[in-house]
Formats: sequence, C-alpha cells, structure tokens
Amino acid sequence: MQSEKQSISRGKKILQSILDATLVPFLAIFTAVVIGGVIIKMVGGNPFEAYMGLIEGSLGSKKALSETAIWATPYIFAGLAVALGFKGGLFNIGAEGQLAVGAVFSALIGYALPQWLGYDLPAIVHIPLAVLFGMLMGGLWAGIVGALKAYTGGHEVINTIMMNYIALNTTSFLLNGIMKDPSPTNVIARTPLIAESARIPPIFDGLRVHWGFVLALLIAFLVWWVLNKTTLGFEIRTVGLNPDAAKYAGINVKRTIILTMALSGMLAGLAGSIEVTGLNYRHELGFSIGYGYDAIAIALLGKSHPLGVVLAAFLFAAMRNGATRMQFLTQLPVDLISMLQALILLFVAADAIVRYIYRIKSRGERVVLTRGWGG
Amino acid sequence: MKKLYFVMALLIVASMILAACGAPATEAPAAGATEAPVAAATEAPVAEVTLDDCVKEEVFCVGLVTDVGKVNDKSFNQSAWEGVQQSQVDGAADLVQFIETADAKDYAKNIATFGDAGFDVVVTVGFGLGEATLAAGVTYPDVKFIGVDQFQAWQFTEDTADDSANVTGLNFPEDQAGFLVGALAAMMSESHVIGAVCGTDVVPPVWRYGEGYKAGALYADGMNSTTTEVQVVYHSDVGFDKTFTDPEWGAQTAKAMMDNGADAVFGCGGLTGNGAITAAAQAGKYAIGVDADQYLTLPEAAPQMLSSAMKLIVPGVAELVAQAKDGSIAAGNYTGSAGYAPYHDLEGAVSDEVKAAMEEINAGLLDASITPGVAPAKP
Amino acid sequence: MDWKRFGFIALIITILIGTVVYVGQTRQTPLLIITSMLATTIAVATPLTLGALSGVYCERAGVVNIGIEGMMLTAAFFGWLGGIYMFQIYGLSAGISITLGVFFAIITGGLMALLHAALSITFKVDQIIGGTVINILAVGLTGFLNRQLFFGKGSVFGGTVPSSPGVLPTIHVPITELFAPLCGTSAVCLENVQAINRVFDQKPIAIAAILLVFISHYILFNTRWGLRTRAVGEHPRAADTVGINVIKMRYANVVIGGMFAGLAGAYFTIESVPSFEPLLTNGRGFISLAAMIFGNWTPIGAWAAALVFGASQALLINMQIFRDVIPPQLSFLQESYIVGLTPYILTMIILTGIIGRTTPPAADGVAYEK
Repeated sequence: MQSEKQSISRGKKILQSILDATLVPFLAIFTAVVIGGVIIKMVGGNPFEAYMGLIEGSLGSKKALSETAIWATPYIFAGLAVALGFKGGLFNIGAEGQLAVGAVFSALIGYALPQWLGYDLPAIVHIPLAVLFGMLMGGLWAGIVGALKAYTGGHEVINTIMMNYIALNTTSFLLNGIMKDPSPTNVIARTPLIAESARIPPIFDGLRVHWGFVLALLIAFLVWWVLNKTTLGFEIRTVGLNPDAAKYAGINVKRTIILTMALSGMLAGLAGSIEVTGLNYRHELGFSIGYGYDAIAIALLGKSHPLGVVLAAFLFAAMRNGATRMQFLTQLPVDLISMLQALILLFVAADAIVRYIYRIKSRGERVVLTRGWGG
Repeated sequence: MKKLYFVMALLIVASMILAACGAPATEAPAAGATEAPVAAATEAPVAEVTLDDCVKEEVFCVGLVTDVGKVNDKSFNQSAWEGVQQSQVDGAADLVQFIETADAKDYAKNIATFGDAGFDVVVTVGFGLGEATLAAGVTYPDVKFIGVDQFQAWQFTEDTADDSANVTGLNFPEDQAGFLVGALAAMMSESHVIGAVCGTDVVPPVWRYGEGYKAGALYADGMNSTTTEVQVVYHSDVGFDKTFTDPEWGAQTAKAMMDNGADAVFGCGGLTGNGAITAAAQAGKYAIGVDADQYLTLPEAAPQMLSSAMKLIVPGVAELVAQAKDGSIAAGNYTGSAGYAPYHDLEGAVSDEVKAAMEEINAGLLDASITPGVAPAKP
Repeated sequence: MDWKRFGFIALIITILIGTVVYVGQTRQTPLLIITSMLATTIAVATPLTLGALSGVYCERAGVVNIGIEGMMLTAAFFGWLGGIYMFQIYGLSAGISITLGVFFAIITGGLMALLHAALSITFKVDQIIGGTVINILAVGLTGFLNRQLFFGKGSVFGGTVPSSPGVLPTIHVPITELFAPLCGTSAVCLENVQAINRVFDQKPIAIAAILLVFISHYILFNTRWGLRTRAVGEHPRAADTVGINVIKMRYANVVIGGMFAGLAGAYFTIESVPSFEPLLTNGRGFISLAAMIFGNWTPIGAWAAALVFGASQALLINMQIFRDVIPPQLSFLQESYIVGLTPYILTMIILTGIIGRTTPPAADGVAYEK
C-alpha cells in the first residue's frame, strides 16, 4: 500500500521535475522572443517575417537541417565543457581558448603527420589521432588552470580569461609562422588543408553534416553517464556542491578540481578538433570565434544537464543558421540573433524574473554554480 | 497556473498591439493576423521587383556576401556594397540584396542562398571567401561571381580552368596607392619623419599599402635628395578579428609616432587606421586616409586630410556588374584602379612643385615606368 | 601600504621603459623616449584604471563584477550616440553635445550596473553569471542598434553614420610656459621642458581618472561611507546587526562602480576617437578586472597595475616604431606575440600569490540573505 503510494508520488515527482526543468527555460525563450519581436518592430522591421525566416532557414529543408546540425556540433561539445565545469563548481570561461588550441593541434596532426612519417595513414588511424591530439591539448590547456586553482587558489575565471588571450596570441603566432599554409597563392594566416585521411566523412552524400555530429550526441550521453553513474562523476559533483564536505568524505579535492578542468578542456578541445577534421579541413585565424562564449549561455540554458545542453545547442544552432535566411528575406542585421540570445540567457540566468512574471513558485534548491574569488 | 496563461495572453496581445501601432498606415489592418498579407504589403508596391522574381530570365538580381564584417564598416565591405547599389542606380541591376557573414563556416551557405534564389551575379568580398566562391562557381555555372580582393590563380592549373570560368577576381594595386601617398608625405614632411598605422600585415592589401608607402617615400627622397624616416606599424598583437577595429590603439600609436617627430600619418586598416588619422588631425599634423577619399567619410579629420590612398572599389564593382549584364565579363583577374584623393582643404598648403611631382609619379605608375617593387604579400 | 607589490610593479615599469630607452637610444634622447612612453602609458591606462575602480567599488561591497567589459561597451555606444543626437538632431553646439555625451555614458554605465545589482542582489543570481549576461547583452544590443539605427530602413540619419561632435580637447598644463625662462637660450633645455610637458598634457577623462583614484582611496579607507562599504563586503551579517543597510549599500556601490565603467566607456568614443565600432572595448574590461586583482582590491594598487598594462602596450608600440634599430639580441621583442603576452602571464603569476597574497573581500560574490 505504502509502496504503491510511494511509486505514484515518485512518478508524479519525476513528471513534476521534468515540468519544472523545462517550464522556466521555455518561458524564458518565449519572453525573449516576444521582446525581440517588439524591438524588431521598433526599428522598423517585420518580426513575423524575421521569425519565419529563422525557422525556414534552420528547419525548412534537408539542407537547412544539415546546416543546423553542423552548427550544433561544436555547440554541443563546448556547451558540455562549460556544463561539466559547472557541475564541478568551476566556471570555465576558457572554452574559447581551449577550442582554438584543440583546432590548431588537430590541424597540425591532420596535415603534418603524413609528412613526418613519410607515408599516408589509413583514415581509421589518422582521424582518431588528429581528434584525440586536439582534445588532449585542449585538456592540457585547461588542466593548467585547474592545477593553479588546486595548488595556489588562483581563480579559474580570471585565469581562463587570461589563457584565452594567450591561446589566441599563440594561435596567431603559429598560423602566421611555422604552421602557415606555404602554397604560393595563400596570403592569409591559415594552415594547409589536412590530409584526406584525416577528414571525418559526411553522413549523407551532398550534405555537409558529418559523423562528428553523431559523436557529439554520443559524447553527451557519455558525459551524462560519467556524471551520474561513476565514482568519478560522484566526486566531481560532490566537490562542486561542497568542497569541504568532499574533503571530509575522503575525496581528493585537488585531484578532482584538476581533473574536472582537464575534462572540461578536453570537451572544448574536441569542439575545435571536430570543426577542423569534419568541416573546415584546416584551421584559420578567425574560424570558430565566439563559440566559447556562446557555450556559457548554452550550458546555462541547458541547466548544465547533458540532455539540456544538447537541446540548447540545437536552439542556438538553429538561430545562428537561420540567420542567413532571415537576413536574406528582411535585411535585418545578424546582431539581432546575439541580442535574442542575450535576452534568453538573461531570463534563464535570472529565472527569478521569469518566475515573477508568470507567478511560478520555485521548487527545489538553488544550484550553486560558482563561488566568489576566494574559491 | 491560471495567472500564467493570463500573462501569456496579455503578452501576446501586447505584442500584437505594438506590431499594429508601429506599422505604417498601409499595413495596419493586416498586421498581426497572418504574416502573408504583411509581407505582401511591405514588399509589393506596384511593379516593384521582389525576391521571387529573381528566378525570371529578364530580372537581373545582384547579391553581395560580406566577409565576417558589416556592410557599414566604412571600409571594403561598405565600398563593395555601394558598388552594388551603384549598379542598381546605373540600371544594370534590378534588385540588390546583401547577406552579412557572421561566421566563416557560413560562407558557402550564404553564397548558396543567392544561387538558389536565382540571382544572376554574386559579389563576394574578401580573400577569405575565395575558396567558397570558386566552389560555388562550379555548383552554379549560370551565376557570375565577382570576388573582391580575391586573386584568381586558377589559370595556373589547367584542369580547373573550365570550372572557374564564371569567377572574376577584382584586385587593386594597393602598393601603388601607398606609393603615391608615401611620396606625398615625404615631400610634405618638414621634420622628415613620417608614419603609417596599419591593420595586420597578414592581410596582403594592408601589407601592400604599408610597404608601398615606404617605397614611395624612398622614391621621393631620391627625387629631392632628402632622407625621410618612415615608421610603419602594423597591428598584429591581437586576435585577427580585432586588428581592424581598434581605433583606440590606432590613436595611441599615432600619438607615439608624433612624439617621435612624425608630422604626417597614414592610417591604413579600417577603424584602427581611422583612429590614427583622427589623432593626427587633432594634433594638427597631416593625416592621410585609405581606400576611399576619407575627407568625405571622416569629417572630424577633414581639415588636416592631406590626401587618401584610394582603391576604387565602388566603380570597380559597378563596372564588373555591368559587364556581367552585357556578357562581356571575363573570368580571371580584373585589376581595378588605384590613385590618390584630392587635397581638399590643404590645396593651398601643397606647393605646385609637389603637385607636379605627384602627377608625374602617378603617370609613371600608370605606364609602369615606376614600380613600387612590393611583394604581393608579406614573405 | 603593500610595498612589496608596489616595488614589483615599479620594477616592471622601469624594465619596460628601460628596454625602450636602450633600443631607441641611437635615435632619440632618453628623456624624449621616457616622456613619450609615460604619456602613452597614462593614456592607455585610463580606461583600465577606471574599469578597475569600477571593480573595486563593486567588490569591496561584496558584489563580483565581471560585467565591466559590457558596461564599458554599452556606455561607449550610448555616450557616443547621445552626443550625435544632441549635435545632429537637437542642434546643440559641439562642446555641449560632447559634455552631454559623457554624462550619457556615465548614466548608461550606471543603468547597466543597476541591472547587475538587481540580478545579483535582489534576484540573487550567481554574480559571475550576472556579469556574463551583461557582457553578452552589451555585445548584442550595441551591435544591433549600431547597425539598425544608422543603416536600417527608416533611419533618421538616412543610411549613413553622421559625424559626431568630436572629442574632448587636450588640457594643456603650462609647464613649458612656467619653466621656459629658466632655460634662457638653451634650445636643448627648452626641448626637454617641452618633452616633460607632454606627459602632463592629457585629456580630461585621463586626468579625472587619476584624481578619482586618490579620491576613491580616500573615500574607501577614510570615510564613514567607505567603512560601511567595506563592512558589507567583509561581514554583511555583522554590518547588518549594527544597523547598516546591506542591500542599499551594495546597490549604491554597484551603481557607482557602473558609472566608473561608464566613464571608461566615454574614454573610447568621446575622448580617444569620435567613432563607435562593435566590440571596440576589445577585452579591456577583463584586463581592468585583472588590474583590480593585481592591485589587491585597492584603488591605488589597481591604478599601478593598470600602468603596468599601459606600459607594456607602450613598449609594443615603440618597439615597432624603432623596428629598424633593434639590436639583434633583443629582436625577439619585435614579435608582438611575446611582449603581447606579458600582461596576461603577469596576471596569472600575481594570482598564484607569489608576490604577496591577494585577498578579496571575504563576502565577495556571496548574495546576502537575511
């Protein structure tokens, strides 16, 4: 009897929690869209046409869907990177830099390894090597920040911002110097094209969407599994919730902080690697700018849950991708998308505002995402 | 929950009212009901060409895809767009439309958007779009592509020659324009120290401007047996996307140069250069603009604007669009013209000898008896 | 006073300037180089100083502010825009328009900060996330309006960016006039006096920034207001029990901080160059934040740190100017890459606590719950 009651109430609880988790983001998006529409109207545009353009351009055809998936791929990786950091109590603003580092080193393995070895590699070896190397370099880049945090208390927010600048400078240095495409017609800072054997093939003929997209979904599942089903995940979450308690529970907090940061960096590095091996086939200064910052918004919108991140990544991808069609139809500036995204983020981050507008009671506890400088 | 629906309904109603209020009188009744009538009201006043007409044979549509940048960047994207608009004024194009690229991965998609909509000419701006433009040339063989600042190397590989027969690169001899103002600055300088503040030298046109400037000063020295110290600074220490949009850095660099005695400053490189130009003008030194006649685009620096190193993008683009329309456009490279802008307010300050010398140098560059000797890109 | 830290900072600035003097000695007298370096350093450090002060006010009151960048950017835009409206639409004179522009910038900074305050104090949003929201919002808002207001259909300016009323003038400090007679007929002496004068001939916001550093230091450490501010940042609960209104103090300080960031924004579009460009603050807000930490949350310390960043920028500029005369053993300095990294690496070193521990206010970043 009692157990029956319990299971009913548990079912109800799950339903309630799903509703809770989705209602506020949905209302946040809705509110942002309405406000965005009003702004479009105010500047003399036609909001309906603009939104129709966005939807058409992102979902309206096979090609549009494929492009949306292409946009979503790095967003999922980078969003997961930031989300994993949040779970571990770390705010990784450095996904931007880690992504660039991952992209550069993936490209290096992609074009230079056959030259060094003197023979061509089969794709089955070359692709994983290129991807893994980029991923590891991204992890190392973030791991430095993790180590600084663990051993000196240097706050990861400032350090990752600084590391972003260092990464961009270093990338620029490499792409202008030893890694510059030497072909006589090239005049800009970019690497040579990576070898055919390092390129992730497209899933369908004639569309650009590639297997990296599938990998992104798999990795999202993997992150969920690690976080919720393994000891490591438990340690990460515990340190994220309360480092002091974690210490008393016998968790090696320093190690966990470094590991969390490194894993986060690896995910961000993957975003860069997959962009190079799956889509651009080279790295160029100016590629993939701003994904690391979009990723913060995506992680927040997805409530740091891997499934939420995937959905949020899709939303952002659809907006970025649909922007072309929207511009084409209405000649409204692309910046509109940035503004919409900022509004969505505003209402998601400050869910209290949304709860206040729509009179929704808050259930559950506040999730601690970051702490002050003291760490 | 009830309250929730109420507020939602309220928001929707509010947005509709706002939509109606803000709309021009003609479409007020339709606003908010469905989107189709609205679109019809805004887009189809009598006999105006709409996007849907571009598939028709007789309607000539021209699209422009910017590099990662805006059509109002006061620089090459804007000039190219003005060129496209010019072609509409001239009657060559019936409809013109642009798409601003927000991310490099959208190059292909943005070009394809015009290709799929049946546009007849697509102008792509900047070297970065070069590969995507060539690829689109194969996918859309009936569309003519004009690539601004895209040097076409296809003639070197025979196999691709046929594929790219509908792509024309529009390039400019920036080194000649830089050479001209370099010579002018050297002749006008009293301290015999002149400077240039440029965007990153990674971008070949910027490099050609900067190095042409040096070469021109050297040439003027040779003519007048003077020794001029030329300080050329490229802004390369920040992310690529920032090098052209850092007016504050440009201004500080120009000031440091003037502290070192420079009395003429050439700003080459988008807004970074504009910062330098403005700072020089404020300090009462000679300012030299770039790309367009910046006497017109930078009013705050106008009184001290000696001249500008010009590449004539607007007429170049308009000319190629006209050629595309009458079918005379040739694949490969089309070299636009470079030159220097009038002295405007400083007409009186420039002596007749200098004016004569400038005309002589310009003529020499045009008939190739003078060559700046600048490599096409930073080695 | 934290002499170890100041000594370290002075040492770095000396090394930076000394390097340039060494490199440029064949072409310029040391005095000319030093004065030129100092003038550039002070100017470049201006927005960083103001940004760092913004951070000091917020964080001393217990609110982390990583939205300085966004506040600066928005203020730069609206200050500039306000000036243009006054000048072009309302037909005010250039001088008045510029002055009003500065006020618009300050108010904009204050409003953005008010949003940050509301998010972090009232709605208790995570403060770092609140700041991130401000930054992203600023980019979208300014980018969109900058495009749409001037270029969009129905723009009051007819599709072109109108000319702005200009920039603030340089304030001439009459050092040359005062000391020139002492030189008598010596031309070298006169040249030197003029060179020294150049360091002091700065623009109004640059001068105001330096004054504000000392005023802020006095306010924070010698007044009742400052004591209360620090109290709510260190021990809000204790402050509350002695009758200080924690919420009010935090709101006030965050808004004041925002106004500083607004003034920093005005520096870009009203003092330095009369134009706006999307993203023109170029990460200087984040560098300000680093300067604040570098300076251990004190106004004078933050200023000194901002000067370090300014000096490394000045070194970069001068290295390119003296490109042709750089001795081979120092040629690596030409690589702007290496010198460009200095401020970032320095910041990371400072954060490790090797040169004196940086201690943030105890309650920094923690929302106050009654």
